[in-house]
Amino acid sequence: MYLSEEEIVERIAELKDKLPSSLYNDLERELRRVKITEEDLKKVVAEVLRRYEFAKVEPGEAVGIVAAQSMGEPSTQMTMRTFHYAGVAELNVTLGLPRIIEIVDARKKPSTPMMTIYLEEEYAQDREKAEQVAREIETLYVRDVLEKSEIDLVNSRVNLYLDEYELRRKKLGVEDIVAKLKSIKGVEIEENGNVISLTLSNPTIKDLRKLANRVADLHLRGIKDITRVVLRKEEKEYVIYTEGSNLKDVLKIEGVDVTRTKTNDIMEIQRVLGIEAARNAIINEIQDTLNEQGLIVDVRHLMLVADMMTVDGTVKAIGRHGVSGEKASVLARAAFEITVDHLLQAAVTGEYDELEGIVENVIVGRPVKLGTGMVELVMRRELEESKEAV
Amino acid sequence: MKLTKYEKARIIGARALQLSMGAPPLIRISEDMLDPIIIAIKELEKGVIPISVRRRMPEKKLLGEEE
Repeated sequence: MYLSEEEIVERIAELKDKLPSSLYNDLERELRRVKITEEDLKKVVAEVLRRYEFAKVEPGEAVGIVAAQSMGEPSTQMTMRTFHYAGVAELNVTLGLPRIIEIVDARKKPSTPMMTIYLEEEYAQDREKAEQVAREIETLYVRDVLEKSEIDLVNSRVNLYLDEYELRRKKLGVEDIVAKLKSIKGVEIEENGNVISLTLSNPTIKDLRKLANRVADLHLRGIKDITRVVLRKEEKEYVIYTEGSNLKDVLKIEGVDVTRTKTNDIMEIQRVLGIEAARNAIINEIQDTLNEQGLIVDVRHLMLVADMMTVDGTVKAIGRHGVSGEKASVLARAAFEITVDHLLQAAVTGEYDELEGIVENVIVGRPVKLGTGMVELVMRRELEESKEAV
Repeated sequence: MKLTKYEKARIIGARALQLSMGAPPLIRISEDMLDPIIIAIKELEKGVIPISVRRRMPEKKLLGEEE
């Protein structure tokens, strides 16, 4: 005798207070889809509750150490140095151990900054429009559309030979480039088919060389720092992948879906979107890197790491320059690295140590405030006084 | 209140020490149950051990303690 959907929902309603809402919703959604007897439902409910209780962390648990082990062990399994070409797009992305180290060290710039840009509905479905956005994003310098440039010493001028194919591909006209060149002062521009000639009023050879270099570096369009753009059709929409990252400017481009677009530059996320976003980015980046290698680590460990890195409002590294180096206790810092310096400095400034942490108590030789060491017991005297023995 | 696994371990340990040093058991024991640890576990299950746990709040105040 199977239960109807309503009956199932009614029967699991009591779990609402006992489970987190996300778990409860998952359970409800799954159960709505199955045929189940009353008896089996009871078993499912009991098992869900048992597993949930089992997954909970009890006060006193050494969560930090467990997190360190849980991330450290899989790291030893990782290929020491991996470079990965992400599918067809052939974008070079640092992955594996080097990437994890990079995240945990809170580097200013990742070694391979990368963005995944999602597009708004109308742009994401239309190849033309998606390409247009992609073009707007990719940085383009004059040198990218140049076949060659030469310094004409006879007429003392610089000749630019434009690459017709590149121009067509990038949807640029000669006139666009001429317009940009007008920003250089004191230069006369002559246009002749695909050749642009620049003349200076009585130049030295040095001046001409300088001009040639300056022109090649002239920015035509696109967003600074984004050196390469790849448009790729995902399951049902066009997505832009970029080499280089500039979240702030990309978000300003029309057609970019600001809610889903992401970068792998955590410091940039902190600058543009704030600390909470940076925390989430740390969690996601570590998890993606581990999963990519087929390693699965409970998110809660990663959340703890991300929390430690972001508690004080800015992203800081784990290690000497960050979390460990900023501990309040001298002994804890001395136990980590550069022992003598820390102790000397503490002696000079007369530092005070509360002996609250783990390392401090290990050094001093007292029980550590963790697990059983954290429990304080008191004898209840009432039994003794009433002399009531069983 | 439900005890954590650490609290249970500590209570059983403390009580077993008392028993091993000659404290009278608070439950009926038989010949086959003379191990102080097993007695302590049984006592804890029955809730007769006269030991309470002090839980401190993060700011080091005792739980339920006023200002």
